[in-house]
Amino acid sequence: MIQRGNIVNNTARKSRILGALVLSTALVGGLAACTTTPTGGDSAGGTFTLWDPYPDRDASSTWAQAIDACATDLGITIERNAGNTGDTVKDLTTAASNLPDIAMVDNPKVSTLADAGLLTTTDENGFDVSDISANILSAGEIDGKVYGVPVGANTLGLYYNPAVLDAAGVDIASVTDYASLTAALEKVVASGKKGITFSAVGTEEGSFQFLPWFWGAGADLTALDSSESEAALTLWTDWVQKGYAPNSVLSNTQGTSWDEFKTGDFAFAENGSWFKSDADANGFLSIQVPGIDGGVAPAPTGGEFITIPVQKDASRYATSAKIVKCLSEGDTGATALGYVAPTQAGADAQLAADPTLEFWIGAVGDAKPRTADNLGVSYGIISEQLYTAVQAALSGSASPAEALATAQATAVENLK
Amino acid sequence: MSATPVTREKVTPSLAARGIAGGAASADAVPSGRRVRARQRRRAQLTAWAFIAPVVIYLVVFYAYPLYRNLDLSFRDYTLRSFIDGTADFVWFDNYAKVLSNSTFAPALLNTAVFTGVSIIFQFSIGLALAVFFFRNFPLATTLRALFLVPWLLPLLVSASIWAWMLNSESGIVNALIQALGGPQINWLTSPEWALVSVLIANIWIGIPFNLVILYSGLQGIPSDVYEAASLDGASGWQTFWRITVPLLRPVSAITILLGLVYTLKVFDIIWIMTRGGPVNASTTLSIWSYRLGFGGQSPDLSPAAAVGNLLIILAFIFGLIYIRAQRRLATP
Amino acid sequence: MTHSRTWWKTLIGVLLTGIMLFPLYWMINVSVTQPTDLRRDPPNLFPVNPTFAGYSTVVSEQLPYLGTSLLVGLGTVALTLALSAPAAFALAKLRPVGGTAVNFVLLIAQMIPGIIMAMGFYLIFNSWGLLDTIPGLILADSTLAVPFGVLIFTAFMSGIPNELLSAAKIDGASAWRTFWSVVLPVSRNSVVTVSLFTFLWAWSDFIFASTLNRGGDLQPITIGIYKYIGNNTQDWNAIMATAVVASVPAAILLVVAQRYVAAGVTAGAVKD
Repeated sequence: MIQRGNIVNNTARKSRILGALVLSTALVGGLAACTTTPTGGDSAGGTFTLWDPYPDRDASSTWAQAIDACATDLGITIERNAGNTGDTVKDLTTAASNLPDIAMVDNPKVSTLADAGLLTTTDENGFDVSDISANILSAGEIDGKVYGVPVGANTLGLYYNPAVLDAAGVDIASVTDYASLTAALEKVVASGKKGITFSAVGTEEGSFQFLPWFWGAGADLTALDSSESEAALTLWTDWVQKGYAPNSVLSNTQGTSWDEFKTGDFAFAENGSWFKSDADANGFLSIQVPGIDGGVAPAPTGGEFITIPVQKDASRYATSAKIVKCLSEGDTGATALGYVAPTQAGADAQLAADPTLEFWIGAVGDAKPRTADNLGVSYGIISEQLYTAVQAALSGSASPAEALATAQATAVENLK
Repeated sequence: MSATPVTREKVTPSLAARGIAGGAASADAVPSGRRVRARQRRRAQLTAWAFIAPVVIYLVVFYAYPLYRNLDLSFRDYTLRSFIDGTADFVWFDNYAKVLSNSTFAPALLNTAVFTGVSIIFQFSIGLALAVFFFRNFPLATTLRALFLVPWLLPLLVSASIWAWMLNSESGIVNALIQALGGPQINWLTSPEWALVSVLIANIWIGIPFNLVILYSGLQGIPSDVYEAASLDGASGWQTFWRITVPLLRPVSAITILLGLVYTLKVFDIIWIMTRGGPVNASTTLSIWSYRLGFGGQSPDLSPAAAVGNLLIILAFIFGLIYIRAQRRLATP
Repeated sequence: MTHSRTWWKTLIGVLLTGIMLFPLYWMINVSVTQPTDLRRDPPNLFPVNPTFAGYSTVVSEQLPYLGTSLLVGLGTVALTLALSAPAAFALAKLRPVGGTAVNFVLLIAQMIPGIIMAMGFYLIFNSWGLLDTIPGLILADSTLAVPFGVLIFTAFMSGIPNELLSAAKIDGASAWRTFWSVVLPVSRNSVVTVSLFTFLWAWSDFIFASTLNRGGDLQPITIGIYKYIGNNTQDWNAIMATAVVASVPAAILLVVAQRYVAAGVTAGAVKD
């Protein structure tokens, strides 16, 4: 009995001491932080914060080294801080009172954040964007104002596994439009392998992956319920229903879809240029997504913009602009991230260094930004309905026509 | 079991002490009894509030502001821009009207009810069964019971991903098993019929340790001599369970279920990671909808999101009232 | 006879635990699966041709995160106990005016969506200088557990016989002394329960960590896991390996904590 009481008292005492410790640390920490919080950073050098969406690139990555090199060149400290791309808007909104000096933002979100007044224009921050390829830059352009600089660009293509195609007796040259692709899938499945994997997940990734087929069919984001749009969605729906594409595409992210492709069971995979080196290592090749009646479908551009969020202290912009210039110039940032450089000179340099990049540099040149066609902020609202329609049709909750009609109606309602 | 011996030993002398004390107090209270008693009562109140004060201050500092903020958001038309310039029109109940008339509202409310109800029924009954089972002394019981808690150690990001992995239509182990036994491929996460079932399975799994531990500590609080008496009377295990365990466990059960309700109502990560509320709205609950409106979609609709969040708080409020009424009824038989 | 009966119970217990822990086994399995086999159909039941690349990454990168999580977890437990146990004592036994209201507010408090809480904290912490600090994270994480702690303690302390308290009072003990040396020892089970859950919540918190400790030098393990989720890729080997490595110290802590209760139980039983 006594022993037991002692044990209890001991823990209680320990936890009391710990509690006191924690409380006092909290107080001291708070006070210390209060006294050291800088009120302005206009002194020479200084510390600049940079938020990027690449948590997987650690301090030893080429990307982090590129940032460090810029900091050394400019004689400043850059505090890098990585969060998930899906949380960019949430994070920046939360931090609205305390925005970072530089934020890297997925290109379709630039318009949303710019519209909210979170970002400065190139007029305000004094950055020169004349060298940047127009199709890549336009995602950051709203009403003639530019809100950021692309660090690089990526896009989607159709990877294929030559071994699976050979075994099924499919010649890749025969795949030129939707019908011939479907015929190829049929042959592959008949040979006992699997057809195609992609990502139709209920997020922006789903829209991103659907857009080549959507645009390739001649559809337009302002009319989700068009017959062209229905043709594209019917193509995907039929694939899933006939078993040419697995049901898991509905929950696949692009990463998961790539893992499926890597099992070696699939003939095709729609995926991004960022998997090029992994594809090379596994012997996968790629073509551009075909159009409905031949030709090449425009694929969407991916990749982040380097933006300069609004600061209370406008004198910081000059240095921030220098950091942006350092990271976006030539091909430093783009190569570090595995993207195609946004300028002709940068892309040429990349090609000179690695001739196998030719396919993807060409594909990025043909690609189209998602916020193009003057959609700007509306893109987000439309895209949400688009991926919802894809989910509805592929899961069998609605027919492609019904799903798209609902999507169009909701988008129109939400755009009001 | 652990607490009772202490309690019982100390109870006996204290009863005797009370008898003496009672006499002394009444003798003492003859003169200005009322005033003394009033002063004593005030002192007692002061002492009580001295104990509560830290928590109340804590509540005010850390909860009042977010709560106020959520209310404010829901009555205004907040856009991202409002965060910069601090202006947002006051729109009264517009956001609530918008949310209530939205076509997602009905399925989300229904899914919330099903998700919460089914989760609680299974979590509680499985938790109770396990608590009773582990309460019997057998070799390894303690270790096994501790191991039951290990799933809690996994960040939700990981446990939800694992479940998504296991329930994958093509490469999931669950379907591999079903198909090995001759069953069909079930599209757990991606068909409108099964999506809610899938997130329910994962959520029940996650909730079992919580119910097990709390109910187990509740069992420990039941005096062991009650059981001894019952077994002397020749009661069967089943009778003992219904006549003794269940009634004596009622206060702890009530709090377990109430907390289960409150936590399940706002479950978010599991569903978000596994299905994102989809396909379409098949597994969308109110909390998923709130997050999707606010931050999960492409264009942040913060005010309607806050309105949905407040509807959830109102739901919890109602359950809280029911709980407190039930507690009162228990206290005054 | 009794021996064979308990033997059966152990067997059933092991079986149930096995079912319950199967997802954890699956996590370990995934953590050592070759990237090319991750989405094999059907999946490999056992790790054939395992890879330990995930583990070598984790061991070289994740240990500081584990330390931070441990510190945050223990700090949150201490703060939660310090705040909730006395309050619960008063609510359960001292019949304060307005006690029901406090109880009610505590209940409602838990319903505020985490994201709203996080946004509120961001503003508060920003002005207090607590962003990116461990004390800040402890404060925030404690909000997950304090209402729970008060409710659980109140439920358990209500069950303590009033005679026990009056006895202490007669002996001249102050309310604080009664609480400290009578109520708290008797409520040991609930102290362990509350501590366990508080620790687990703090351990697995992600939303506060990702909002309030985005750029700190000391980040918890959930953020560590996040490092392997890239823009378009996920390093599942490393994610699952981190989860496995992260579970080990905490699992040991759990088993030890549980043993500790058990030791008290058997000691009591023997003395009785």
